[in-house]
Amino acid sequence: MTTPILSLKNISKRFGGLLAVNGVHVDIMPGETVGLIGPNGAGKTTLVSLISGTLTPTTGDILFQGKNITALPAFERARLGIGRTFQIMKPFPGLSVLDNVAVGALYGTTTTNKSLSQARDEAMEWLRRMDLHLKAEQRADELGGPDRKRLELAKAMAMKPTLLLLDEVMAGLNLVEIDEVIDAIKVVRETGISILVIEHMMKVIQSLSDRLLVLHHGQQIMAGTPQEVLNDPRVIEAYLGKRRV
Amino acid sequence: MKRLLPVLLIGVVGVLIALPWIAGPTLIQFAINALMLATLAQGWNIIGGFAGYASFGNSIFFGLGSYGVAIAMVQWNLPFGVGLAVGVVFSVVFALAMGVPVLRLRGHYFAIATLALSQVMSAIFSNLDIAGRNIGLVLPLLRSDTLFYELSLALLIVATLIVFWLSRSRFGFGLIAIRENEDAAQSMGVNTTRYKVLAFTLAGILSSLAGGIHAYWITFIDPNSAFDLSLNVKMIIMAVFGGPGSVLGPVIGAALLSGVSELLSSTLSSVASLFFGLVIVIAVILMPKGLTDCWLKFPVSRWHYFIHNIRQYRL
Ligand SMILES: Nc1ncnc2c1ncn2[C@@H]1O[C@H](COP(=O)(O)OP(=O)(O)O)[C@@H](O)[C@H]1O
Ligand SMILES: [Mg+2]
Repeated sequence: MTTPILSLKNISKRFGGLLAVNGVHVDIMPGETVGLIGPNGAGKTTLVSLISGTLTPTTGDILFQGKNITALPAFERARLGIGRTFQIMKPFPGLSVLDNVAVGALYGTTTTNKSLSQARDEAMEWLRRMDLHLKAEQRADELGGPDRKRLELAKAMAMKPTLLLLDEVMAGLNLVEIDEVIDAIKVVRETGISILVIEHMMKVIQSLSDRLLVLHHGQQIMAGTPQEVLNDPRVIEAYLGKRRV
Repeated sequence: MKRLLPVLLIGVVGVLIALPWIAGPTLIQFAINALMLATLAQGWNIIGGFAGYASFGNSIFFGLGSYGVAIAMVQWNLPFGVGLAVGVVFSVVFALAMGVPVLRLRGHYFAIATLALSQVMSAIFSNLDIAGRNIGLVLPLLRSDTLFYELSLALLIVATLIVFWLSRSRFGFGLIAIRENEDAAQSMGVNTTRYKVLAFTLAGILSSLAGGIHAYWITFIDPNSAFDLSLNVKMIIMAVFGGPGSVLGPVIGAALLSGVSELLSSTLSSVASLFFGLVIVIAVILMPKGLTDCWLKFPVSRWHYFIHNIRQYRL
């Protein structure tokens, strides 16, 4: 049996009186794209932050490629190969689009002392794949909606991660833009890395995920193929039902 | 223009090296002071301009450097060079010990914490026998402005070369990423704590050396002059006016503002310094990224440059 890229073992996170994540077990296999859905406040972003190391769990263990990383700070997890995007986008506003991505190439899983021009070359490569190369010299805060999302993807991918966490990348986009960004994510998926993707839009989740997890009040209420999950009465009640009202 | 710059710089440095044999003693004394301020502005540039941490603690390093030289020379009878090293050791210890807790704070909290530390250090040295308590220490007299001038110039050149290296190194790029968005930098693999402490230490070493040279030149230090907050304010104004995060901005800012304030203080009254303050405030509003940025972008966007900047303040 292959070892999972990521194993969450009974992970919980408490904020004061609130159990934002409650006893979650997850395995993500190499090359797998796992969708994470759940209503607002379910604990999805918290779970991503626990994996990326921005938050530390109250209880439980996180294994990355079989190695316990629960106590590692975020930057060391990034070096091991965990890349993420932020629900609230976090570009480097005053830097050019190219240099934003170059940070990922210069750091990320890179261990050697790479030169700036080498990092910029790699960054340019990802800008091309994300169709952003014509805007390389613009300031990052001058980009519009879908370009910002593509920039986030390029930044994370320039880190050469083995696991990518995508937290509501599509938020705020219109339908045409969503299709563009789905294509961009497919480019990312074809590199063979594992992806955990959080999304509200069922269309996005269905077209990207091999497997779905459902979080509700911090608890994982269901896991399975998109078909199984989306037809499950518990899921419909907890999540889809409410949204259809 | 790009090719001309190195030639121009070498020319300027050549003239500066030769200055003691060209200019009179008054100008040299003014220049020693201006070079010191430029070095301090350059040091502040590393932590404030690159890493984005507005430090009010850099005058602490200046004070530690001053006391390093003064204590070594007066109390221990050691040569000046050893005194400089003692000051650097004080500063490095301080930067490593205080940097870790203080650099956890962000924005205004960091500024206020460093401000408070500066007061604490002044109080501590006022009560140290070895530092002459609040009376201070009198250093041996060395009448050689040429020596002090050349030393100050060498230090500024070293400081500027360090910042030049920063501007094209992985380390400097990481500091800029921290300034632009610390959380994102951290989750992209930048060891933010280590980088910030290193930047603080590097800035501290430069400020400390400037303080050591200054103490020997002035031949007297006390807690108030060594841990002078107005010095910290000056270095910030000069670095910000010239262009924080740029290589030459802080030097140009220091040169210009030293010159202007010298002219005003010798010819005009205190109303003039009020006017001076007003000019700086307006300059910072019109060109928040300093002279160097304005120099590069004004030819392209003309007065839209200023309008764009004012809009950023959402006045
Ligand atoms: N830093 C925090 N401090 C306190 N409560 C938090 C914090 N982050 C999230 N929460 C709470 O935890 C719950 C889960 O939030 P979140 O993970 O953002 O949900 P989701 O991303 O699924 O919408 C929410 O009730 C939220 O208010
Ligand atoms: Mg969320």
